Amino acid sequence: MKNTIKQVFHSGKFLFGFVIFMFILLTCLIYPIFVTADPLQMIGQGNFFKPGTYVSIEESTLEKSYTLQLPKQFSKLEAVLDIDTRAQIQEFLIKNAGVAESEIDVTDAEGLVALWKANYDPNTKYSGLTTAKRKALKRLDNQITAAMKDSGVIVAEKDEEGNLKQSKVIKDTDYVNINDVTTKTFLLGTDNFGRDVLTELVAATKSSLKIGLLAGLIATAIGLMLGLLAGYVGGLVDNIIIFITNLFTVIPAFVILILISYSVGDKARGIAMVGIIIGLTSWPWTTRSVRSQVISLRNRDHVNLSKLSGHSMFRIIFTDILPYIASYVVMAMILQISSGILAEAQLSMIGLGPATTKTATLGLMMQWAMQYSAHLNGSWWAYFPVVILIALISFSLNLMNTGLDQVFNPQLRD
Amino acid sequence: MKKNLQKVMSLLCVSALSLSMIAGCGGSNSGTTTTDTPATEESTEAVEETVEETTEETTEEATEEAAEETASTDEGSTPRNETLYEAGQQWGTINDWNPMSANSNNGLALSANESARELVYETLFMFNALDGKLYPLLGTEYSWNDDQTELTVKLNADAKWSDGSAFTAEDVAYTYDTHVKYQSSQGADFSTYVESVEAVDDSTVLIKAKAENGVAINPLKVTSILNTMYMMQKAYLQTVEERNGEDADKVKQDTMEDLVHTGPYAPYISNDQKAVLQRDDNYWGQASSMWGKLPVPKYIAHTIYKDNAAGQVALSQGEVDVCQQFITDVQNLWLQDNLPISTWLDDAPYGACEVMPSMFFNVERKGLDKKEVRRAIAMAVDYEQIIASAMSGQSPTFDEYPRSVVGPTDGERKYVDFDAIADLQWENADVDGANALLDEAGIVDTDGDGIREVDGENLSFKAECPTGWSDWNASMEIVAAAGEKIGIDIQTYFPEASSFYDDMTTCNFDICMWSCPGAGVMNPYSKGMFYFSEEYAKLASNWSGNFGHYMNDDAEAILKALPSETDEAKLKEYYTELSRILLDECPAVALMYRPTLFYAVNESVWTNYPAADDGRNIPPTDCTDGYGIAALYDLELVE
Repeated sequence: MKNTIKQVFHSGKFLFGFVIFMFILLTCLIYPIFVTADPLQMIGQGNFFKPGTYVSIEESTLEKSYTLQLPKQFSKLEAVLDIDTRAQIQEFLIKNAGVAESEIDVTDAEGLVALWKANYDPNTKYSGLTTAKRKALKRLDNQITAAMKDSGVIVAEKDEEGNLKQSKVIKDTDYVNINDVTTKTFLLGTDNFGRDVLTELVAATKSSLKIGLLAGLIATAIGLMLGLLAGYVGGLVDNIIIFITNLFTVIPAFVILILISYSVGDKARGIAMVGIIIGLTSWPWTTRSVRSQVISLRNRDHVNLSKLSGHSMFRIIFTDILPYIASYVVMAMILQISSGILAEAQLSMIGLGPATTKTATLGLMMQWAMQYSAHLNGSWWAYFPVVILIALISFSLNLMNTGLDQVFNPQLRD
Repeated sequence: MKKNLQKVMSLLCVSALSLSMIAGCGGSNSGTTTTDTPATEESTEAVEETVEETTEETTEEATEEAAEETASTDEGSTPRNETLYEAGQQWGTINDWNPMSANSNNGLALSANESARELVYETLFMFNALDGKLYPLLGTEYSWNDDQTELTVKLNADAKWSDGSAFTAEDVAYTYDTHVKYQSSQGADFSTYVESVEAVDDSTVLIKAKAENGVAINPLKVTSILNTMYMMQKAYLQTVEERNGEDADKVKQDTMEDLVHTGPYAPYISNDQKAVLQRDDNYWGQASSMWGKLPVPKYIAHTIYKDNAAGQVALSQGEVDVCQQFITDVQNLWLQDNLPISTWLDDAPYGACEVMPSMFFNVERKGLDKKEVRRAIAMAVDYEQIIASAMSGQSPTFDEYPRSVVGPTDGERKYVDFDAIADLQWENADVDGANALLDEAGIVDTDGDGIREVDGENLSFKAECPTGWSDWNASMEIVAAAGEKIGIDIQTYFPEASSFYDDMTTCNFDICMWSCPGAGVMNPYSKGMFYFSEEYAKLASNWSGNFGHYMNDDAEAILKALPSETDEAKLKEYYTELSRILLDECPAVALMYRPTLFYAVNESVWTNYPAADDGRNIPPTDCTDGYGIAALYDLELVE
C-alpha cells in the first residue's frame, strides 16, 4: 500500500494534477476563514463593477489631507486631448465652423482648445451631424471645460437654513492616506447583482466540488455494484442489468438529467439534490467497464480456488475481485467527479441548477454573466475566472487520472 | 486503372464542391444582387462542364446547391442604403398576417395596442405617447356628442387600399362587425362597450357606445377603438370568410398572406432568417392631406435573431439600425466603444419610462391573503438594487417618483396627490420595518426553522416570470433575497413563457410579474384597471390585470365611476384613493419603471432619428408604432 502511494506520487502527471487540485481545495477551505462576508450579499449597486480598490469619497474629503508636491504626471488637458479627439475637433472646426485648415494646429493643445471654445456652442444644432456625434461633441465640450478649470474642488455644507457654506477646498496636491479611509477591494470586481466575484467564486467552487463529489460517489457506487453483480453472477442477472444499462446509455444522459431536474421543481433543488440527480444519471458507463473487467477476472485461478474453498459470493467479490479493479474504479470516480462538475455547470446554464439566492455555483455564475451579456460588455471578470476554474478542476482531475493510469497499467509504464 | 479512375473522380468531385462553395461565398459577401447572379451562374456552368463525365449524382447535387445559393442571394438581400433594419420585435418565422388571429407571432406588422404598429395595417388615429394625443391617419377628426354616447369619426377622402380602391366608412363598420362576429379578442373586448359601428356616408363613421341609463359605460374604452383597431377591407374580409366557410376558428387562423392593406409597407420576404417589408410606392399617404411624401426607407427588414445577445452584437456592428432590446450598460456602447449609437435620453434612465412591471400576490393563497405578509414582502425588497443591477440603471428610482397607480410621466402624475399618500410609502429595503410589521401581526416563526408560519404552515412562495427575460429574472431573485431576510421563503421559478402564461392567466401562482399597460388614451384609467379590476379577475383567461384576484369594493366603485368622470379635481381624488388602497393593501407592487419599448439607434447608415431634445414631438417607438412612424418620413442617409 505504502509502496503504491509512493509510486503514485512519483508520477509527474499525477503530482501536477494533485497540486492544482489541492490548491483549489485548500483555497476553498482557507479563504472563508479570512473573508467571512456572505458570498451572496449584493454590495455593488449596478452591473459588473470592474476589479480594483474602491475608496470612500466622503471619508476622503473629511479625512486629514497630506500635501504632496508630486510632479504632475500629466496635464489634464493633454489627457483629454488624445490623437482621436484632436482629429475630431479638427474635423468639426473645418466642416461645421468653417475654420480654414491652415489656422488649425493640432499639436498645440491650448490653441486648439481656444479655437474650440470660440467656435463651439453647445446649444446650437449643427446640421449634417448625427445625433450620436452631436452628443459626443457635447460630452467632449464638458470634458474640456472640466480640464480647463483651475485646480481645486470646493466642498460645501448646507447650514440650517439650507444655504451652502464652503467648508473645504481640495487642491490637486492634496492626498489622503489610504489606510485612513474605508476601502473595499474587489480583486475580481462584482457580478451583475453587485456581488463580490472572488468571494462568490470561492463559495461556488466549494459547492461545485461538493456536487461533483456527491455525484461521482453515487455514480461510482451504483456503477460498481451493478458491474460487479453483472460480471460475476452472469446469466440472467447479467442480461437484465446490461439491458437496463444499455437503455440508459442509448438515451443521452443529459436529456434525462434535464427531465428529472425539471420535474423535481425548484423547491427541492439544493446542492445535495442536484448532486444526487447527476449521480443517478451518469452511472451506466462505469457499470459497463466494471462488468467487462470482472468477466475477465472471474475465471482466474485464484477466483476458482476461492470458489472451490466454498467462499461465499460476496467474499469472493470483495476479496478476490474488487482489489484487482480498485485502481480502475478510483480512476473512474475521478472522471465521474469531473463530469459531475461539468454537468452542474450545464444544468445551471439552462436555469435548472440550484436556486440563485441560496447557493453560489460555477454554473449559476456563468448563467447570470451570459444573461447580462458580460461577454459583450467586456466584463471578463464575471465569466473568465469561472471558465478557468472549471477548466482547471477538470484538467487537474484528468491529469491525476492519467497519472494513476500510468502507474497501475503496466502497459503504459515507461 | 480502377484506382486511377477513383482518383480522378474524387479530384473532380472536390473541385466541383469547392467551386460551388466559392460561388456561394462570393454571393453572400458582396451584398448587391446584380453583380452576384451572373457570377454564380458562370460558376454553375463551369461546375457542370467539369463534372459532366463523372457521375450524374454529383452534377445534380452541385447544381442544386449552386441554384440554392443563387436563389437565396436573389431573395435575401436588399440594398443597405434603402433598408432600415430593426431588431427585437420579431422572434421567429412569421406565422400569419391576420389582425384577428389569437396566436399570431407577427411582431413586425401586428401589434394592436395603444401605440399600434402602423407599417402594414393602419388604425384610424395614431397615438403619441409624448403628449397623450391622437393624431389623424385614416381618420381626420373625431368628436363625441354631449352626453358621450355617440362618437363621430370623419375619414380621410384620400385613403386608399393597396389594391387601389377607396377606403370608406363601410370598411370600418365591416371590420368591427367581423371582429365581433368571430369573437376575436378585440371583438370580444370592445363589444362590451360598443353598441354598433355604422357608416353614415362614405367618409363618416358613427360609433355608438353602450349606455346604462343614458350614460355610456366606458367612453374611454370606446375612444381607444380609434388607435388600437387595424382597418381591414370589406371585400377582402368577405373573401376570407367565404374561403373559410364563415367558420370562426378557421377565419381567425387564416394566414391572410394575400392581404389587402392601407399601410405604407407590404410583406416582401418572410422566412426563418429574416422578414422584410417593401414600400408600396402607390401608398395613399403621399397625398398632401396626410404625409405629403413616402416614407424614406424602401425596405424595413428584421433579421430573426436567436437571442438578445445576437441582436446586440448586430446593433453594435451597424447591421441593425433600430433596436428594441434591453441592453446591459447601454451607455458603454458610446462612452467606451465610441459607436454611433444613441438612445432617447443621453443619461440614465436612457428611455422614456412609462410602465411599471409589477409583482402580483395571489390573494387566494394562504399567507398571501394577509395584507401584512404582502406589505412586509413589499417593504423588504431592495428596489434600488433592482433598478441599479437588474435594470442596469435604466429606470428612475422610487425616491424620484414615489409609488402610486400612475406611471412616471407628468401627464399621469398630475392625477395623484402625492402628499396625501406620503405616509403610506415605505423606505427602500426596510427589512427591520417589515420584520416588525410581521411580529406585530403575530406572524412569527414558532418551530425555529427560520421561516415564519401562518396557522402552523410555513410561509413559502414561488415567484415566477418567464425564463430568459433577464431583467425580470434578476428582479425576482432580488425579491427572493428579500424574503430570506424577513423569514419568508421565496423561491424563484422561471418556466417557459407559455407555461408562465397559463399560470398567470388562470391565477395559478403565488407571486408573478407582469407589466401594466403603457401610455394610451385610457391612461391612467387602464393602470387602475390593471391593478384592481374585478371584471378582469372574473375572466376565465385573464391577460389584462389583477392576476391575483384581489377584490376591493371601494376600488371597484371608483373604477366604475372613472370613465365617465371629466372633472379634474374629482379625478385626482379618485386616483389618489386608488393609490392609497394600492399602497396600503399591496395586492401588487411596482418593482421598477420601464419604457414600453426599448429604443437604441445606430447612425452608421441612417440618421435623424427621434431624440428627446429634437423638439419634433415624435415618440421613441422604434419608428414603427403609433405616431412614432412619423420618424420614417424624416430619416436621412448618413453622408
